[in-house]
Amino acid sequence: MASLGYYLLLAAFVVCAYAAAISVAGARRRSRALIESGIGAFYLLAAIMAVASAVIVYSFVVGDYSIRYVQRYSDSVQPMFYKLTSYWGGLDGSIMFWVSLLSFFGSAAIYVNRERHRELIPYVVTVISVVEMFFLFLMIVHNNPFQTYLTESPTDGTGLNPLLQNFYMAIHPPTMYLGFVGLTIPYAFGMAALITGYLDDSWLRAVRRWTMISWLFLSIGLGLGMIWAYEELGWGGYWMWDPVENAGLLPWFTATAFLHSVMVQERRGMLRVWNVALVITTFFLTIFGTFMTRSGVVQSVHAFGDDPELARLFTIFMVATVVVSFGFVIYRLPLLRARNELDSWLSREAAFLVNNWILLFSAFFVLFATMFPTLSEAVRGERLTVGPPFFNQWMLPIGLTLLLLTGIGPLLAWRKSTVQNLRDSFLIPVTLGVVTAVAVALLGVRVWTSGICFALSAFVVGTIGQEFWRGARVRQRATGTDVFTALVGLVARNKRRYGGYVVHLGMVLIFFGFAGEGFKQKEEAQLKPGQQVKVGSFVVRHDALSITDDGQKQMITAHVTVLRDGKPFAEMYPAKWIFRKHEESPTTEVAINRGFAQDVYLVLATFDAATQTASIAVDINPLVNWVWMGFGLLALGIGIALLPDAVFSFATAPLPANAATTALIFLAVVLSQGVALAQDTIPAIFRSPLERQVAGEIMCNCGGCRLSVSDCGMMNCHGKSGQMGKIQQYIAEGKDHDAILATFVREHGGYDVLMQPPNRGFNRVAWLLPYVVAVVALLGVAFTARRWSRHEAAAPDAAPIDRELDARLEDELRNLD
Amino acid sequence: MSNKAARIGLTGVVLATAFGVLLYSSLGESLQYYKYVDEVMAEPAAWHGKNLQVHGTVVPDSIGRKDNSLEWRFDIQRNGKVLRAYYNGIVPDTFKADSEVVLTGTLDDKGFHATEMTAKCPSKYDAAPVNPGSRPSGGA
Repeated sequence: MASLGYYLLLAAFVVCAYAAAISVAGARRRSRALIESGIGAFYLLAAIMAVASAVIVYSFVVGDYSIRYVQRYSDSVQPMFYKLTSYWGGLDGSIMFWVSLLSFFGSAAIYVNRERHRELIPYVVTVISVVEMFFLFLMIVHNNPFQTYLTESPTDGTGLNPLLQNFYMAIHPPTMYLGFVGLTIPYAFGMAALITGYLDDSWLRAVRRWTMISWLFLSIGLGLGMIWAYEELGWGGYWMWDPVENAGLLPWFTATAFLHSVMVQERRGMLRVWNVALVITTFFLTIFGTFMTRSGVVQSVHAFGDDPELARLFTIFMVATVVVSFGFVIYRLPLLRARNELDSWLSREAAFLVNNWILLFSAFFVLFATMFPTLSEAVRGERLTVGPPFFNQWMLPIGLTLLLLTGIGPLLAWRKSTVQNLRDSFLIPVTLGVVTAVAVALLGVRVWTSGICFALSAFVVGTIGQEFWRGARVRQRATGTDVFTALVGLVARNKRRYGGYVVHLGMVLIFFGFAGEGFKQKEEAQLKPGQQVKVGSFVVRHDALSITDDGQKQMITAHVTVLRDGKPFAEMYPAKWIFRKHEESPTTEVAINRGFAQDVYLVLATFDAATQTASIAVDINPLVNWVWMGFGLLALGIGIALLPDAVFSFATAPLPANAATTALIFLAVVLSQGVALAQDTIPAIFRSPLERQVAGEIMCNCGGCRLSVSDCGMMNCHGKSGQMGKIQQYIAEGKDHDAILATFVREHGGYDVLMQPPNRGFNRVAWLLPYVVAVVALLGVAFTARRWSRHEAAAPDAAPIDRELDARLEDELRNLD
Repeated sequence: MSNKAARIGLTGVVLATAFGVLLYSSLGESLQYYKYVDEVMAEPAAWHGKNLQVHGTVVPDSIGRKDNSLEWRFDIQRNGKVLRAYYNGIVPDTFKADSEVVLTGTLDDKGFHATEMTAKCPSKYDAAPVNPGSRPSGGA
């Protein structure tokens, strides 16, 4: 298998080289056949990489430990789910995963654009192929994932570290890679435009969507990494400016800048050099981030090991990229001249420009501070470092300024805002912001940065709300429909703009969560059973320490009662798990009680079994969950912007016959997904109804399936059989339903063993949400059905009350999307 | 046209200078020297009172903790040079004999007073060393 994999990589390299060369030849000779051949070769590359991926996954599944990579990152007892994710677990495999993803992404981009941008495509193929060639070359000469043991091969693997056998850690890296890899596509189109000289704005249209998709993946990847750090590492926070984290943040800044400045070029034909430069910089930063984390250039708590050879290869590639890319920019400067000049600083394009400078400065600053130890070593021969406080000191004002601009930008008109404009559009948002600021001050908020953040958040929410409201009103008057349909129609006519506002709203939530950091309270205490510690308005009492063993690991669990204002608030079970195979590094199992207002976050730091003493770290993290909700909203916003037009046709198009019926059936199917889901469970034999009920409510702990014990379909699943045994045992002991669930929660040390959280407190939100969504959807259906069944009323004379606003809106709505 | 270029240039210079000055002044307070134990112990007195990050491995059997407290005392070493360290707080899971740690704090005659401790955390990207006993790999 190993040699098959290696030959596939060699074949991929040859095919790549062919695709690059033949495409250039085809473009120069204007030969359709040669160009088609290059495209075909690129599809072939994707196919080869798919097969090579299948080979390595197969090796992991069957446990072919003669392959070094398989031996180092898996073992025979590892759950199937983590055997699959071990593919991108190590350096060599992650490079291969990268190459595969890029070949799939690239094929899709080429397929979609091959007719529309015929003149660019050959060079797009060339650029992506050259990038692929670099990574394939790395694998072939330096990091071959298919390398085997030369002499005798081990019979079992060393296994993946338990800290990394975590659901978020399994899906976080591929999400980040998707973001990184996706940003190669805009670069390829940008370079193709530079090489061919077709520098009208058509290449921008081709890459807009790809940048949005990549940006989405990058954002979600960053969010997942934060959740992982928060839930698994147990230091009570989610971001500490580690170089590995920063590597993902750098291209995010420049990609965000590009997504904004691209609008200026579309509307006003300005910033053309700037946009090309941003695309190139973003791509460069993805490569640089990979280089930084893989080659040992930067010291980090989770750096990836020194590798001077890798560093050298990467340096050559990066220098070549910069020289060639910016060489072309300079060569094409005459073609990149701006069509317009900035009319006024009181214009939207100026706001975008300032936003771009700040984002770019953020990227520069984070890069500088991350590289500072390396720079100082090079310059002064002495390694100097800067810590998270330095980052925070700078990024706090920068972040707040960006938040302010998020509120100002949409209120300014293109070209030039008049005083009348300003008064009209700023009145409500500014009032909202000022009122919030005063309220915050009166309430006696002692952290002024957080206070400013709250006020700015209110200002931005005011701006966005006003934009939606005014837009909907204008459209309502123009089309003579109700507000709801007008709103949907408004979003449909201009998905990118209003999707963007939803993204802004997500960012506001994230900042709201960040502001909560200012009120964080932290306490560490050594507690004997019965002793308690007071943190803010909470009292944490240590009740007992229990030690249990499930065969795979020893679990030391502290039983803690949290009281608030003297009343019981929660029972929590922070724990330490000591895995048999990794006794030297116990894992910390954090206990988190989530809430809208705050998380109570408990860590069992050390314990003494003899005296039942536990030292417990208590973190009260206000507003943390708003950060995660913000990421959710952000994804929703991008989703709206990316939706195909057809989805909205019901609100914009003239109504076809039977559309209402179809829509009703469609919605009914969507709403009744529970029925469809219930059918793919594997029948299991239960001895009693109680056993069936409990098994359906306990989550299988095999590690990856996230199904209930009764639904986990894995053959001989060790987690499942153990848990089924326990359930049967407890039933035999005469425990009732609630008692069994309580026992599981206690033993497991957290409610996440249950399929559904118990119905109380913050958990009710999780229970309530589906019902709320269902009710809202039903109302929507009823409303739409009623409206459509009505006879078309004569549209009232669309006499715009606010002519200027109307004109501005129409002007902006035209051709933006 | 040249007037405009001059204005842009001037703005750029002013902004760059302002940022540079700010960056430099704020850098001064948060600078920390990053040193290995043996580098520090070559001339300990020179480092007294400076913001320091010390990188070394925990000496086996040197870890002690005051009863019923979170006050730790241990030795870290590199290339035969040993440094006594004090730390008050919760130690990471990976803190144990022979583990690699980076301590942040200050040095005086009694030893190193750490305010922060980071232990090299394991990463997917670096498996267990193939030959135990060889140079501790630079990353984890």
